Amino acid sequence: MILRHPVLYIILAFAAIMVWLPLHGNNVSLREDLILVAIAVILASNLNLMIGYTGYVNFGHIVFYGLGGYIGLYLAAEKGWNLVLAALLAGVGVSLFALVLGLGILRLRGAYFALATIGILVAVQSFVANFDPWGRSTGLYVSFDAYEKLGGARHALWVTYFLVIAVMALSMILSLGIKMSKFGLGLFAIREDEGAAVVLGVNTTVYKAIIYSVSAFLPAVAGALMFYKNGMIDPSIAFEFMLSLEGIVMLMLGGKGTVIGAALGGGLYEKLRSYLLTSPKLSNFHLVIAGGLLLVVVLFAPGGLIGWLYKAVPRSRKVLE
Amino acid sequence: MKRLVLTIFVLSTLFVTAGFAQNLTVGFTVSKTGALNVDSLEQYRGFELWRDQVNAAGGIKAGGKNYKIQFVSYDDESNTKRVQQLYSRMVLQDNADFLFSPYSSSLTATAAIVTEQYGKIMLTTGAAEGKTYTLGNHYLFQMFTPGAEYLKGTLDALKAKDPKATIALVYEDASFSVAVVNPAKAYAQQLGLNVVFTEAYAPNTTDFSAIIDKVIASKAAVLLGGGHYADGSTLAKQLYEHKVPLKMITLLVAPDSDKWTELGDSAVGVMVPSQWEPQTAFKAQYGLSGADFAKAYTAKYNAPPSYESAGGYACGLVLQRAIEQAGGPDTAKVAAALNATDITTFYGRTKFSTAANEHGLQIGHAMVLAQWQKDKSGLVKQVVWPLAAKSANLVYPIH
Repeated sequence: MILRHPVLYIILAFAAIMVWLPLHGNNVSLREDLILVAIAVILASNLNLMIGYTGYVNFGHIVFYGLGGYIGLYLAAEKGWNLVLAALLAGVGVSLFALVLGLGILRLRGAYFALATIGILVAVQSFVANFDPWGRSTGLYVSFDAYEKLGGARHALWVTYFLVIAVMALSMILSLGIKMSKFGLGLFAIREDEGAAVVLGVNTTVYKAIIYSVSAFLPAVAGALMFYKNGMIDPSIAFEFMLSLEGIVMLMLGGKGTVIGAALGGGLYEKLRSYLLTSPKLSNFHLVIAGGLLLVVVLFAPGGLIGWLYKAVPRSRKVLE
Repeated sequence: MKRLVLTIFVLSTLFVTAGFAQNLTVGFTVSKTGALNVDSLEQYRGFELWRDQVNAAGGIKAGGKNYKIQFVSYDDESNTKRVQQLYSRMVLQDNADFLFSPYSSSLTATAAIVTEQYGKIMLTTGAAEGKTYTLGNHYLFQMFTPGAEYLKGTLDALKAKDPKATIALVYEDASFSVAVVNPAKAYAQQLGLNVVFTEAYAPNTTDFSAIIDKVIASKAAVLLGGGHYADGSTLAKQLYEHKVPLKMITLLVAPDSDKWTELGDSAVGVMVPSQWEPQTAFKAQYGLSGADFAKAYTAKYNAPPSYESAGGYACGLVLQRAIEQAGGPDTAKVAAALNATDITTFYGRTKFSTAANEHGLQIGHAMVLAQWQKDKSGLVKQVVWPLAAKSANLVYPIH
């Protein structure tokens, strides 16, 4: 039962702290830092469903975030829809798109699948850059007046923050729920030996397509919220390959295949990058230091931080999923 | 007794001076890393030179006080993701009094959401896209002539030289170049010029052979377009290698760089719409002359200033004048002074729209058209349009 699992309460406590911290003393600057942490956790957690649980490396995961951003921004800013409704519809739309796509490309394995995901990213970016209703390569902008519906820009940014935190908590709960389910067991079987999983009766094609689609839903919702908050979107920002790669780095850092590891990796990576970027002494070397630290983790703790913790404190394996 | 009086005098002088010397913090992000690094750095140098000169002269004098300028800036990594985080930080933690924009239209549009939210004035430079100003802002002020105006000078010059010339529009499929080319196409039609070929290419394109074949097939005599340095310089080289019989080539941004001379013969005759050139001898009503700016800049950075650098310096100059006129750094008063600004500096005229539907849009500044021409000393960039500002005659046709 998920309700009895301690990780659920760790997730809820984490989300509550994320809400309370900036709210206490109306610390908007902290809120802006934490929203990026939350986005990193969302991206890493959902990417973990593919890489960590199923063993399929998705280099184009950011396509879901960008497409969600476009659909959400188009509906909320151009068509005047309610933001929550627009974000949910963006999630549903992108999930359906991923399901159809997944049934096709998930027949590929290993490096071929990874290459196909890069191809999808490039193809979607090119399509959007030539799609008139979404402003082609110029993109879409949110009018300052559009925030009035949420009580003005100041209030709107708080609302989007709380919604992003909710999506973050849901991402982690979803990861936990899947990990504890029979469906999750099927995914792990695919990860360990896909051929053996087929023999054991796992419908691997359907399982993979479903998880591919599920892993698209919450990043798409988050994309809709985040780009609405940012006030603009264009193809180069929405489908940034670098962000896809960073998602994989976050997973390696925290420990792929674990709920807490993915979130920890996402959160820590973002905090580290933010700190280095704004540190007066280190800002000129921020990329070098970030790269060096990651190299150390990969070399000396290949299971990520959670893998290292499992080794150091074996009992933690029973508590932390 | 005498000693006591002297001591009190010295101490009170020190106290008064210390009381008057205040700091004003100006915040902005710089793309120290990422694709926008080169242009962003040139813009930053413009800011920096302005700050150093103001502080060396004792600061901004307003309302009987002196204000020294200090900067707070961070690396935005040429990425919109970081911009709101960093601008919020500058407003809330670093207590920036005024803000300058990042480099590029998309980064500026993202920063504007934050600056508007906190009612902070942001002077924008290096951001020509006009859309941001039509979204209902109150505190944005644009220094660059908007994108829609970029190719107007070329088209006017073409209308005057050869109204029957056929035009090909070949441009990078990116937000800035699209924002420039679409209005240019409409303006060409308005002038009765004949656009015979239009094609956008993907950013980072390195092989233009297929597009060049199409340009040749279209029998276009003039090619307008480009995007940024890498694609623009490659396009110019390949047009020359394919011996395309063009009478006029105008490319965006790339030919403004002093690196353009490295292209050799393919650089000759190519034109670039420019926000400012050292030859544009505007009679400055305020601040230093263009020649003095170019001299100081070259002395400090050992490189000639680009129009991004000039935009950066002018940004500071216009803010400085507004603070002086407002009698201090009060946001509402400085915003009112900026709204009333109509001034000619070394950079040209600056006037901001006060219409509610396009507040802050630059409506005073005019661009010039520069052409790379050969003279005895080698390749030189000359201002050829408008005629009132020309430093040499337009070379047409170039081949």
